[in-house]
Amino acid sequence: MDIAKKKLSRRAFMKTAAATGVVATVAYNLKPVLRAFAATDKPLFAASGEWKATTCQGCTSWCSVEVYVVDGRAVKVRGNANSKVNGKASCPRSHMALQQVYDPDRIKLPMKRTNPKKGRNEDPGFVPISWDEALNTVADKIMELRNNNETHKYMLMRGRYSYMRDIIYDRMTKIIGSPNNISHSAICAEAEKFGSYYTEGLWGYRQYDIKNARYVLLWGADPVSANRQVSYYLSEWGDMLDRAEVAVVDPRFSATATKADEWLPIKPGEDGALASAFAHVILTNGLWYKDFVGDFDKDSPVKEFIPKKRILEEFTLKGEVNKKLTFQEKYTYGLIKWWNVELKDKTPEWAAKITGISVEQIKRVAIGFAKAAPHAICWVGGGPSMQVRGCYGAMATHALNGLVGSVDNLGGTLKANKEYTGKFPKPDSFMDEIAKKGKKHKKMDHRGTKEFPALKKGKPGSGVVTNRVADAILDKDPNEIKVVIAYMNNFPFSCPGTERWEKALSKIPFTVHITTHAAEFTWFADIVLPSTHHMFEKWGYVKSHGNAYRHVTLLKPVTDLVWDIRTDESEIPWLLAEKLSDRGFDNLLMHYMEYKDPETGKSPANEKEFALYALKYVTRNLWDPKEYKGGDKLSGWKDFTARGVWNSDPYHYRARWGKMKTKTKKFEFYSETLKAALTQHAEKYKTSIDKIMSLCKYQARGDKAFMPHYEEPFVWGRKSEFPFQLVDYKSRLNREGRSANCTWYQELKDIDPGDEAWDDVAKINSVDASKVGIKNGDKIKLISKIGEIECTAKLWEGVRPGTVAKCYGQGHWAYGKVAAKKFGKVARGGNNNTIIPADYDRLSGSSAFYALTRVKIVKL
Amino acid sequence: MLKIKNKKNAAGNILQKKKVSRRDFLKMSGAVAVSVAGAMSAKEVFADKKPLSGKRLAMVLDLQRCTGCGGCIISCKNENNLQEGATWSYKKSTTAGKFPNVRYDYIPTLCNHCEKPPCVEVCPTSARHKADGDIVAQEPELCIGCLACMEACPYEGVIYFNEEETHRFWRDRKALIKGCTDSPEDVSKDVKGRVVPYYNPDREQNKKGSGLRRKGIVEKCTFCDHRVKKGKLPYCVMRCPAEARIFGDLNDPNSKVNQVIGKYRPMRLKEHLGTEPKVFYVRNYNPAVYKKSVGSL
Repeated sequence: MDIAKKKLSRRAFMKTAAATGVVATVAYNLKPVLRAFAATDKPLFAASGEWKATTCQGCTSWCSVEVYVVDGRAVKVRGNANSKVNGKASCPRSHMALQQVYDPDRIKLPMKRTNPKKGRNEDPGFVPISWDEALNTVADKIMELRNNNETHKYMLMRGRYSYMRDIIYDRMTKIIGSPNNISHSAICAEAEKFGSYYTEGLWGYRQYDIKNARYVLLWGADPVSANRQVSYYLSEWGDMLDRAEVAVVDPRFSATATKADEWLPIKPGEDGALASAFAHVILTNGLWYKDFVGDFDKDSPVKEFIPKKRILEEFTLKGEVNKKLTFQEKYTYGLIKWWNVELKDKTPEWAAKITGISVEQIKRVAIGFAKAAPHAICWVGGGPSMQVRGCYGAMATHALNGLVGSVDNLGGTLKANKEYTGKFPKPDSFMDEIAKKGKKHKKMDHRGTKEFPALKKGKPGSGVVTNRVADAILDKDPNEIKVVIAYMNNFPFSCPGTERWEKALSKIPFTVHITTHAAEFTWFADIVLPSTHHMFEKWGYVKSHGNAYRHVTLLKPVTDLVWDIRTDESEIPWLLAEKLSDRGFDNLLMHYMEYKDPETGKSPANEKEFALYALKYVTRNLWDPKEYKGGDKLSGWKDFTARGVWNSDPYHYRARWGKMKTKTKKFEFYSETLKAALTQHAEKYKTSIDKIMSLCKYQARGDKAFMPHYEEPFVWGRKSEFPFQLVDYKSRLNREGRSANCTWYQELKDIDPGDEAWDDVAKINSVDASKVGIKNGDKIKLISKIGEIECTAKLWEGVRPGTVAKCYGQGHWAYGKVAAKKFGKVARGGNNNTIIPADYDRLSGSSAFYALTRVKIVKL
Repeated sequence: MLKIKNKKNAAGNILQKKKVSRRDFLKMSGAVAVSVAGAMSAKEVFADKKPLSGKRLAMVLDLQRCTGCGGCIISCKNENNLQEGATWSYKKSTTAGKFPNVRYDYIPTLCNHCEKPPCVEVCPTSARHKADGDIVAQEPELCIGCLACMEACPYEGVIYFNEEETHRFWRDRKALIKGCTDSPEDVSKDVKGRVVPYYNPDREQNKKGSGLRRKGIVEKCTFCDHRVKKGKLPYCVMRCPAEARIFGDLNDPNSKVNQVIGKYRPMRLKEHLGTEPKVFYVRNYNPAVYKKSVGSL
């Protein structure tokens, strides 16, 4: 052919082609090439696949999804239309599960450490071993503790879980005989729950009824990007914008702020000041929602809230003896106390100076929000909550829902609908003397100590203080830890103050990590047990709520199991129970045998049966027509597994008005509930609440401690030395810190506004950048009081001057060859948790992530 | 470790960076030359069952519904077995303004399936051609990788050139932890995938070379021809959690696409060039309200 022989440059060829119409000629002559290809390129797959229902746990939205399975192989993911929570919507991170389950860097069989030295710079020297050898080793270590009466030196650490968790987290720990089952919850958002609990008696994440809302005010929440119900909110956000005004309070121009009417770029940690000013504006403008909050008594001499003026709680009419309340509250409690102690002086002018938000914007947003009452959502995210004094930030912001009557109301903030799953059999009769004695020891996380009240659900010492455990291990306080089993967690990456965890884990004599990947935690493990992937390879269930519904969605093995892996929460504890039984300790196995198949009454005979029976047992009320209690009517187990999800009944709005689980049954602006909890804690240590407040780093004294109020942020580092405040946040592609080894994650990292693909950038305002001489793309170090990380500078207008915004998720030095620049050695970017100090909101036990870290920027 | 190049925004740059060497070009053309003998009509190559004939398929992107989540980009890569670095569906995002008056703009992008596609004009082999449904189609087996289409296309980043053997990530034979993890190549074998472990066989539809495209050719969005021929909507349309992508026939006056572009004034990219894109944009990414004001001096 002519054109083949001609020595044409590409450009010249194109010219020729276009000009002379070579096109047609070539095309007509091509067919035989196709034939040639055809011979070697047979389609490998004849039939199409099938969509199978399961669950995505990429974040804690816990969407019900379906996986497209071709010949036992996962190919695609979509939302499960049977779910009334997320329906057919599935967010971008759901697809990445495919790159997780088929990640080459997944551990395919058990491994053991060959290098006895442990440390960040010690290659563990992992070699493959059999399940038998691995479990025998673990069982021997546990028996050693039991034989020496030191079962309290055993610890179970939990990361991502399903509700099968109690098999390994609760029952196994108790029957072995240890108090130390430590969850990750305090690095999640427990302080957020504190806000709703000590106002409306709800220890849980709220759902937000955006289909019926007219104003949505978000605080450090980024729902189109991260947690919770991302898929659902993605499906509704654009339509909601037609109905509702949206304002976002966040030092960073978040993904949600890019789709909002107002951005309030607050100075980090000052949320409480803004919230109190909002409440002040709402009250002084007479905009509280009277049907919920009530109103001034018709005879009261005072009829309005006037800035800076106290209001007497009671008055006496002329000629009468009995006192009357100045303000007759309906479903709330303590409004006048709140006004007098906290709100009366919190003018917009006062707040403007503190928050960096203009007086006009404060007034405009507060009034706009309140005028939409009761269909006005005050959406409290981790931002104002997960700070050193964050429990009060959570209360101050959440209290606005009380003022506008949106609590439990149409277009407002809702609790989870009722669901009817059961519980696993009780372990008590399988706990022998050793176990009972062991369990009486103190927990390793310091919960309930004087300094860590951890007031979950009104009970001092009932909340977890996850991140404290690293210090406890290092200090052997309350005791040393000899054996650890941990699953699907990665504390040396996900907990602030990562270096403490590296040191602590290096000191533990025997650690087992159940994991899909060789994570940073794994680096310190003696035995590594490869776990199944929740979405494709595991039996389990989770419950989740949104769209005014709750669903219980199944995790199912939907693909062929290819590697020598087992399920973390069911199969592995069963197999371990068998090994313990071989060694003369069969209590755990006997207990697990009680998890009988409700259909046949059979006890499980092996780990596979156990995983399935346990799930059927605990979800029976949902699928067995004989046990029907409400919600979707399913015809049996088969029906449940095919649909993959059970949906609750619709929401009953306002059912909790006057019946809230607080001391007063009302929405408490003056929290008798918190007062009782704090009193109990102070009495335990024979001290005053004020002293407890001081010890726990809070500023409030007296009655203020029981109210939503402003506390100044507690910050590590002086401004003179560390000029910038770090703003940490979560990526829309994060699968909880587990997706950085996916190429899709890296390729699309710039889907987070301001971020860059294949990079980890610290976003700096151009005003600051020119001050410190930093250019776009410069390699920099961020240095805080406790550590330093390397990353890339990005000049971006979406950050408040004086702050540096950086996404959490990168900075892995292990996990895989994509996540790390050099596996085991060099991180890709920097982990924010390396520079965020380990500090706490002590009343909730939460780790602080926000508004506590000052940094300086050094150009490399 | 395997290097993965990120070629975002580089679609146009490839032309500047890497000129196809004469030798490469001859190789490709050589293959073509061999074929002369058994010449058959091009019509058979593109033989369809013609359920789409007479249709003028178009996509409308509702920017208000769009949340900029990138689900379309990932799901497209998933559906069409795209290699690392390649995108058929992509986006343009910009941050404008000065703190605190900042705006973020986001538009999803893809091949515009122009009514008057310059790429079809210049393609020397008719690998790029108009197919039924007025889809600007790409026949992998006919492509010789001359890159003329990339040069002619006025839109950035919608055509991707397979400079090297595709899916190098999955062809790697090194395991991370010896004996404990698999090499990428082995993973794919273990699960009986095809190069890619989550390989989507539906992309092939018995059309040779379209499941995984080979080295030395270009590839781009086909409006999921393999799906639309079977009466299924393009995968990005199905997976957009916000239902921001609307697909249909411009020739049907009552189609949803016509309803929507009849209601809102649509925007098309580089409309002034006269390519007549069939990808339309309606509404604003952020329809924010502001307080009424006439401003001041």
